[in-house]
Amino acid sequence: MLDETPEDDFRDPLSNYDPPTYRDPLEQALAEDPVTEIQYAPFATAPPSMTVSEAVRKLAELRAGCLLIEEDERLVGVFTDRDILDKIALEFGEVKDRPVSEFMTPKVVYVHETDPSASALAVMSVGNYRHVPLLDLNEKILGVVGPYRVTRYLQSRFES
Amino acid sequence: MGLYDNMRNEPVRSLRLRKPVTLPPTSSVRDAVELMRSRRLGCTIIVDDDGKPLGMFTESMLTKMLATLVSFLDDPLEQHMATRWPHVRDDDPVRLVLEIMQTRNIRFICVVDEEGRLVGLTGQKGLLEYIADHFPEQIMVQRIGTSPYMHSREGA
Repeated sequence: MLDETPEDDFRDPLSNYDPPTYRDPLEQALAEDPVTEIQYAPFATAPPSMTVSEAVRKLAELRAGCLLIEEDERLVGVFTDRDILDKIALEFGEVKDRPVSEFMTPKVVYVHETDPSASALAVMSVGNYRHVPLLDLNEKILGVVGPYRVTRYLQSRFES
Repeated sequence: MGLYDNMRNEPVRSLRLRKPVTLPPTSSVRDAVELMRSRRLGCTIIVDDDGKPLGMFTESMLTKMLATLVSFLDDPLEQHMATRWPHVRDDDPVRLVLEIMQTRNIRFICVVDEEGRLVGLTGQKGLLEYIADHFPEQIMVQRIGTSPYMHSREGA
């Protein structure tokens, strides 16, 4: 019976918990800051049916390096400066009226809003991607993290 | 010492520098695109006969040219290169790379020796690899993929 349970039988389940220790304030920020601490908006989107020439013009006008290709509010690919270099630059005359979906990078490596900021750095440094789309837990696009935004985040953590 | 101190004390040459794509100023834009494709690099450094950088041609410049020009692939690079190119010396502190990237919103930085000759290329990738090397417990353990977590329960 409950009344007979001795009071000292209680065991704190966290009594053996050792909080993580960090060697550096930046290390702590990378582990504990959500990736949303890095600026992720504004961002540019385009439908998969947009023509290559329209997509190239949009990237140039916005001075952006990456278009998120969106269909039914879902991320279906990214179209970047690198796609233009690799697949379009020399062939522009023949491909300019074709849909951007034929030339985008379809398998996108992204992070979720609840991931730590270290995850965006991992995608860039290990995965070798320059732009990292950010999605909410319902897979809706929130924004994109790029080189300039990451370096600004690092700088802000050094200054704080 | 923390990363901030290391970045102030360690020289740029301690980054994993990338071998740059180089071409003379008389090469065509087409030559640069083909070389950048084969070497999987987003910029070409235009150098003189002594290996000193004269300018830079990047993939974002290519995007802008495609959007605004009709024909340029057979033009010489010297017509289109940026002549103000960001650079650091190989004995400058790593921190300078972060500062230049942050203030000038650029992707590639040339690394030159004390004679001004090009010795390598760095930028976002080199800087983030340096940070990942410092904090592997945080960065190297992250899942990288198109599905970072399980969408349904495993098992019954």
